[in-house]
Amino acid sequence: MKKYIFPILLSAVIFAACDKEDPVVPNEEELITTLTYTLTPDGGGDVVILKFTDLDGDGGNPPEIETSPLAINTVYEGVIKVENELETPPENITEEVEEEGAEHQFFFIEDILKSDVMYDDEDVNGNPIGIETIVETGAAGTGTLTIILRHEPKKPNDGTPEDAGGETDIEVTFDITVE
Amino acid sequence: MRNYILLIGFLLVSRLLWAQECNLTVSGRVLDKSDRTPLSFATLIIQEDKSKGAIADIHGNFTIGGLCPGEYHIEITFIGYETSFEFVELEGDLRVDFQLGEYNELLNEIVVHGEKDDKSTEVHHAVGQDKIRSEGNKNLADVLESVAGVSVLKTGSGISKPIIHGLYGNRVTILNNGLVQAGQQWGNDHAPEIDPFVADHISVVKGAGSLQYNSSAIGGVVMVDPYRISTDPHLHGRATYVFQSNGLGHTVNTQVERADTWASWRLAGTIKFMGDTKAPNYFLTNTGRREANFSAQLERNFGSKWFATAYYSMFNTNIAILRGSHISSLTDLREAIGRDEPFYTKNHFSYEITQPNQKVNHHLAKLETEYFIDEFQMLRLRLGYQVDNRREFDVRRSGRSEKPALSLSLTSLNVDATYDWDYAPDANLKLGIQSTIIDNTNVPETGILPLIPDYLSVNLAGFAIWQKIKRDWLFEAGARYDFRDLEVVAITRTAPREIERHYHKFYNYGVNGGAKHSFSNNLDLSLNLSVAQRAPEVNELYSYGLHQGVSGIEEGSPDLVPEQSIKGIISADWHITRDWYLQGLAYYQNIDDYIYLEPQDTFRLTIRGAFPVFKYKQTNARIYGTDLTLVYDANKFVSGNFVYAIVRGWDKTNSLPLIYMVPDNLKAQLAIHPKDGRTFRENEIGLTGQYVFEQTRYVEGQDFLPPPEAYFLLGVNAKTGFRLGETHFDLNLRVENALNTTYRDYLNRLRYFADEMGINAILSLNLTF
Repeated sequence: MKKYIFPILLSAVIFAACDKEDPVVPNEEELITTLTYTLTPDGGGDVVILKFTDLDGDGGNPPEIETSPLAINTVYEGVIKVENELETPPENITEEVEEEGAEHQFFFIEDILKSDVMYDDEDVNGNPIGIETIVETGAAGTGTLTIILRHEPKKPNDGTPEDAGGETDIEVTFDITVE
Repeated sequence: MRNYILLIGFLLVSRLLWAQECNLTVSGRVLDKSDRTPLSFATLIIQEDKSKGAIADIHGNFTIGGLCPGEYHIEITFIGYETSFEFVELEGDLRVDFQLGEYNELLNEIVVHGEKDDKSTEVHHAVGQDKIRSEGNKNLADVLESVAGVSVLKTGSGISKPIIHGLYGNRVTILNNGLVQAGQQWGNDHAPEIDPFVADHISVVKGAGSLQYNSSAIGGVVMVDPYRISTDPHLHGRATYVFQSNGLGHTVNTQVERADTWASWRLAGTIKFMGDTKAPNYFLTNTGRREANFSAQLERNFGSKWFATAYYSMFNTNIAILRGSHISSLTDLREAIGRDEPFYTKNHFSYEITQPNQKVNHHLAKLETEYFIDEFQMLRLRLGYQVDNRREFDVRRSGRSEKPALSLSLTSLNVDATYDWDYAPDANLKLGIQSTIIDNTNVPETGILPLIPDYLSVNLAGFAIWQKIKRDWLFEAGARYDFRDLEVVAITRTAPREIERHYHKFYNYGVNGGAKHSFSNNLDLSLNLSVAQRAPEVNELYSYGLHQGVSGIEEGSPDLVPEQSIKGIISADWHITRDWYLQGLAYYQNIDDYIYLEPQDTFRLTIRGAFPVFKYKQTNARIYGTDLTLVYDANKFVSGNFVYAIVRGWDKTNSLPLIYMVPDNLKAQLAIHPKDGRTFRENEIGLTGQYVFEQTRYVEGQDFLPPPEAYFLLGVNAKTGFRLGETHFDLNLRVENALNTTYRDYLNRLRYFADEMGINAILSLNLTF
């Protein structure tokens, strides 16, 4: 019996000397690295771009946040674009959100605009998605705008994420100046 | 020792002429197999007629009278010993000695068998089996909950893992058939992949001195031991059906066995099918479960010196996790906490399992052979091979929910050799070498960076255990040395992704010693001291990513060093009278470099908001507590037991209580045994109560929510047994949480989101042929 033990242990040691194979780097197709909120003023003026980028996903380098001031007393048409820029060419995730509009909704929380951000699109059931919105500024000031994307929220809801529930796919906050 | 030699005993058959009348007797003695000391008050039950049986006297003598000629199976049970089924053919009065083997019980281990208290409450039944069968709808860990000092860490009602003396996960080793269960132990939501039905008994080893198993078991060991196939040449089997009202769950298990001339064999299978469970006020949507298990066992003697066994088991499960507990940001968590009912709660029952869920598939194959060199020496070789596939599914976009978010495949190979030598009449030496290779690979189908990297781990270990009996004393000492080589292949978090290799080597030792003194036949006192080291596991070193359940980013620390544990246990086993039995135990454990998840001061900003970061850190900790079990069993009309356990954990470096320590808990059971009727026998009506105190050792901010309030659960049960021809039936009705109490348990990770299960009636029918 004993004579079998040692060859087996020996093979274990030999096995140990082997290196583990390289893992396959997964194709992170679901990763969201970038959110761009483009605000185009009605009747001309400077286009405002709010952009949140975290190229390496959670961890690694901290995200970069880009913002520029909005003009007072202006109505903007807002469009959200969501991308995975880790892929080349960047993958447009907005299309996925649009296709599954009934299972997604953007929420906007702000304390600086003249009125709540208004939805300008709807899903197959006639409920808002929030890829296209209307934003209206009033007096000058500073504040924040938080954009939240929820997956599988309750729809319809009262327009707040608290009521809608669901899982957060995106939650980014921008410092906003109106001048 | 020598557990695997079955001795039928020494038959002294004397034929009597008036054999056809039913006045034959079987008499003899019940003895310890190893030292042949009499086992006082052992219980013997005739399986064909359970009203017939005997309790041995103080010298182990027994007599069972009033038997007709024929073939009988006798079940012999005794606390701390393996239950034995013996086959006798009665043509006249028979004199026979039965020998029972002690559980692989070493002094340092303070083995408390899962059924110890129940067993002595219900002397008619085999250790463990009855409870395992009547609670067959439960998970492995839940079955152990009745043991003092053992608690259960849960993720909802479907996933549970054992906590021994306040420690769990990587610190508790689970032995499946003698092999260290190789699964993804690291996750708090990873339940052991074992079907409790395969076990004859499940035992818990409290303490860190389990030198012959695994160096990382500084919390303790859970042993799932299948029973030996009986030497009976007839086909025997069992079938069990369990229905539970909460979740409308069905559990079916069957097994058959026979001792053929070529070998003894057993086949067993289990199927579980359960739907959504219900809290008192709402359905727990998506909490169903499926399970399908199979096992095969073969045993063969090659002559009198060589014994071999082969075992294979397969475990498959699909467990749903409460839909409302799936969150992906801190905001989600805050919104989910404090709701009257969880998000996504449906107002109807369903068997459907959707994401989030876990699919696990585990294979275990074992070859074991024992060779008896002579009367005193034995050599055992064990080969084990396990494959564990775990796939966890999340709610994802664009139909990706069908793709697992985590997919791991682990392969493990064990080669162990043990040499056992009784070098003197009262002394034993056990030497062993063990090697384990674990290869864990992420299956690249997830589209997500893995939480745990790929790794290859090779472990080589050697141990020596010495035992000596001197009159009323038993002495024991042991040592173990482990070498572990770990190679980790990780994917970096940079853009673009790169592959990094990390190498670690760990050298760990463990020593322990103890003494046990029997003051009389009734009182045993034992003291044990152990020193052990546990090398950090891969998750503690390299995990990286978002833990959905806890809504935090978990980060390993590659520079962790092994934990150093010193544990002392003092215990008393006291058979106060024939009716009263007390087991008291106190322990103190000091763990330096105790590895834990520390919340970091700064939040990490991601595209899903800011997350708290938890990093694996080390601190110095101490854990102490006591377990108390009191059993009253007169084998008459009333029996009862009482279990009380307290655990205290303290982080000495940071002067904080340790988080997730088991709250004080108290369990009591009272049973009435009505007299056997003509048809219905072994009747019992019982009442159980469980009181779990609030965990008050908690500092504000240690957790998202303070520990829940204390709660009390009431249970009732009734059972009976009857025969139809050759088949014996046991019928058991149990109502858990009979008062439909709304409560939350501190050790359930879903306590943030939902209440525990409400009232549940469980009906089990077991037939033995």
